[in-house]
Amino acid sequence: MSSVEDPKMSWPVRIGGLFFLGLAGAGVGYLVGGRMEVEDLRWDDALALVIAAMLLMTGVILAAMAAMRSSKLPPACGPLQALVMLIAGGLMVAPIWGPNLASPDVVFIGLVLLSLVQSVANLMLWCHADEMLRRVMVETSALAFWASQMALFLYAAAERLGLTGGVSAWGMMAVLMTIYLLASAVASMRRGLH
Amino acid sequence: MNNRLKVLRAERDWSQAHLAELLGVSRQTVNALETGRYDPSLPLAFKIARIFDQPIESIFSED
Repeated sequence: MSSVEDPKMSWPVRIGGLFFLGLAGAGVGYLVGGRMEVEDLRWDDALALVIAAMLLMTGVILAAMAAMRSSKLPPACGPLQALVMLIAGGLMVAPIWGPNLASPDVVFIGLVLLSLVQSVANLMLWCHADEMLRRVMVETSALAFWASQMALFLYAAAERLGLTGGVSAWGMMAVLMTIYLLASAVASMRRGLH
Repeated sequence: MNNRLKVLRAERDWSQAHLAELLGVSRQTVNALETGRYDPSLPLAFKIARIFDQPIESIFSED
């Protein structure tokens, strides 16, 4: 038998972990929400914040899994997946909340740097992943591309026909990330990764 | 595709984590292989055959 078995988590540890995650989420939500005019929130900002919250929550859970159940993931993939998710969440929040902390140009420079770190982390994740995780990443990309292309085509056609209009690039980005998350969930569940 | 991975692993009293370590993949991948949610690449199938010391066709079969 191997020595790489993960130790079983006791129920108090599990409940404590859930409590900690809930507390952390409430704290971050209070900090972010407290600095924004929630009543004036546009739909695209609201969607981006929901996606950001999901990405950050997934990142925290993945980080906890990487620390406690490392054999479940390919070596080095847990921390990298967590990093990618956390940065993605930060990227979705920063354009909305960042101007509370710094000027827009400084926020934008930060976003460019974060995007570069995100790209390197994604590349490293690909290099460290085993073949099934790579397959899931490829299937996620293919599914998200197909669905986004169809959504963009339908929207563009409706706009050309004068039936709709006014969705900003930020709104499209929020929709794209929503589609990507759904595609990721579908591709992961097909392989039993949940 | 069907496979006898779970049976072969049980015969050797190996955990999924141990087999994953031998194959250089995650435990999730071993689980997905055993439950038929994922078909391995040819290199991984050869590696599995080598580890169990059996021909590929005796481990994997068509539906």
